[in-house]
Amino acid sequence: MEVLVSLKIVPDDQDIQTTADGKLDFSIAKPVISSYDQNAIEAAAQIEGANVSAITVGPASINDTKQRKNILARGPKQLFMVADDTFQDADANVTAKAIVAGAQKAGNFDLIVFGAGSADTYAQQVGIQVGELLGWPVVNGVSKITAGEGSITVERTTETEVQTIDVPLPAVVAVTSDIVEPRIPSMRDILKAGKLPVTEWTAADLGSDTTKAIDIIETVAPAPADRKREVFDASVDGDIDKFAAALAEALR
Amino acid sequence: MKAWVIAQNEKAARELAAGVRTLADQVQLVALTDAAAVTGVADEVLKVAVPAGAMVESSVDTIAALVDAQSPEMIVAEPTAAIKVVIGRLAARRGTAVVTDAVKINADGTAEVMYFGGVGHRTVKPAATPAIYTASAATFGDAPAATGTDTVTEVAWVEPASALTVKSTEQLPKADVDLTAAKRIVGVGRGIAAEEDLQMVRDLCGKMGAELGCSRPVAEAEGWLPREAYIGVSGVVTNPDVYLALGISGQMQHMVGVSNAKTIFAINKDKTAPIFNQADYGLVGDIYDVVPKLAEKLQ
Ligand SMILES: Cc1cc2nc3c(=O)[nH]c(=O)nc-3n(C[C@H](O)[C@H](O)[C@H](O)COP(=O)(O)OP(=O)(O)OC[C@H]3O[C@@H](n4cnc5c(N)ncnc54)[C@H](O)[C@@H]3O)c2cc1C
Repeated sequence: MEVLVSLKIVPDDQDIQTTADGKLDFSIAKPVISSYDQNAIEAAAQIEGANVSAITVGPASINDTKQRKNILARGPKQLFMVADDTFQDADANVTAKAIVAGAQKAGNFDLIVFGAGSADTYAQQVGIQVGELLGWPVVNGVSKITAGEGSITVERTTETEVQTIDVPLPAVVAVTSDIVEPRIPSMRDILKAGKLPVTEWTAADLGSDTTKAIDIIETVAPAPADRKREVFDASVDGDIDKFAAALAEALR
Repeated sequence: MKAWVIAQNEKAARELAAGVRTLADQVQLVALTDAAAVTGVADEVLKVAVPAGAMVESSVDTIAALVDAQSPEMIVAEPTAAIKVVIGRLAARRGTAVVTDAVKINADGTAEVMYFGGVGHRTVKPAATPAIYTASAATFGDAPAATGTDTVTEVAWVEPASALTVKSTEQLPKADVDLTAAKRIVGVGRGIAAEEDLQMVRDLCGKMGAELGCSRPVAEAEGWLPREAYIGVSGVVTNPDVYLALGISGQMQHMVGVSNAKTIFAINKDKTAPIFNQADYGLVGDIYDVVPKLAEKLQ
């Protein structure tokens, strides 16, 4: 089964800084695989008989050697890297159109796997749009995948129930973040990953429509929380008492 | 302006209809289930007759035809797994994208959303009509109770060319926690090393009269607490008087769920943990050492 896993590379949110004028500063935030897409890569890699490729779409900054290896050390045999500043802040529609164009250029896939939601917008929409644009069935919230003949059987977790659904291929699934734990690639996996093929495309190579569906008017940092920030230390005599007293006071 | 609410559950239908009424003079409630076909909250209920055995997800063709017939300018949808599929497919057909989990929606179509789970806030505007959003009651603040008519119009089902069907279902256990209503909450994070250690925390909760919540990995990766117990941007947003975080690092995605708490307490063994910048009272210490002592002191 030819499986394509679609993932996003985002700045590491641990290192996003706030500037004095209340803007976000990404200058020291290194590109990383959006955390729940790591689970999606693992879920794809664990499908029985799957031959896994990966695709990612984003601005030029995502074309990072370390992340290329990081992706390919997790199971995919090849990577399609669409890194072009046209895709800076791309919405679900623009991204889905690019992934569809990329998938069609890359080969014949039976299944495209998405993660639960990206760390930046968590919109959970790209996979659904890709399914619609391709005219394929889409299932979100997939918490288990079992390969069959020309179909897969999935368990899908909604707010109230777990559904079992037979999905004819080709199809699109978006998996939950707890479907499987992502692997921690070994040094050997990472070295091997350096030799696996990466195909680089620009927006022009794909030729997909990149007209923005959502205009971004402004991005600001929230005002810092207005908190007392009194910190005690359990190793200091009497500090636990002080903390306990403050807690008891608040509970009154 | 004519606006739609799309809902699957009664509570969301009522709340979103009330909220959308603050933006639009004409409100139609598109109900995808019998439960959501609530009268008296919108000018008209458009009840989609999903056939027995069909999935709500298969209503895209019906909804797309209804959009053409009714021309709503704004669609505000309940964010269920099924509705996300319906509106996502609808958006793809119309060359647009859904603004998800809007924190605020304005009458001019602009909306506020979280960026990186609250690290940033964004103002966005969908370019196409109808503009499509998902939202919750909180999006609209204190909207007055909804008003409306008894008119229910049945919408004929448009049979999709192909559709998935559910082979079997298993009900998830009903949540016995409702952290949205809790006044005192203790949240546990990855600082808890084993499921059985939760007992120590439950004892403290008992002393405090507090409900037990957690960070996402404790519910998702470990499965030690139900999904309804995880607090944060993708979980529940709470409103307690007292929040005590135990072994939680204080990532924004989690803290967004307690930012309305009156007083925040935090215990963490790492004195550089970001949570100390977002708490009123912090205690640097090992929860295994401190929590039993604290429970004792709260006698
Ligand atoms: C799209 C997206 C959405 C997300 N939504 C949410 C959400 O809604 N809610 C949520 O919670 N998370 C969410 N997350 C995850 C979030 O980013 C963090 O990964 C998560 O909140 C971290 O949980 P934690 O603090 O329990 O674990 P960690 O970050 O691992 O922190 C554990 C802390 O415990 C401390 N500790 C360890 N042992 C002890 C001890 N013995 N005594 C005292 N302290 C100890 C450590 O110093 C550390 O600070 C989301 C992430 C993404 C990408």
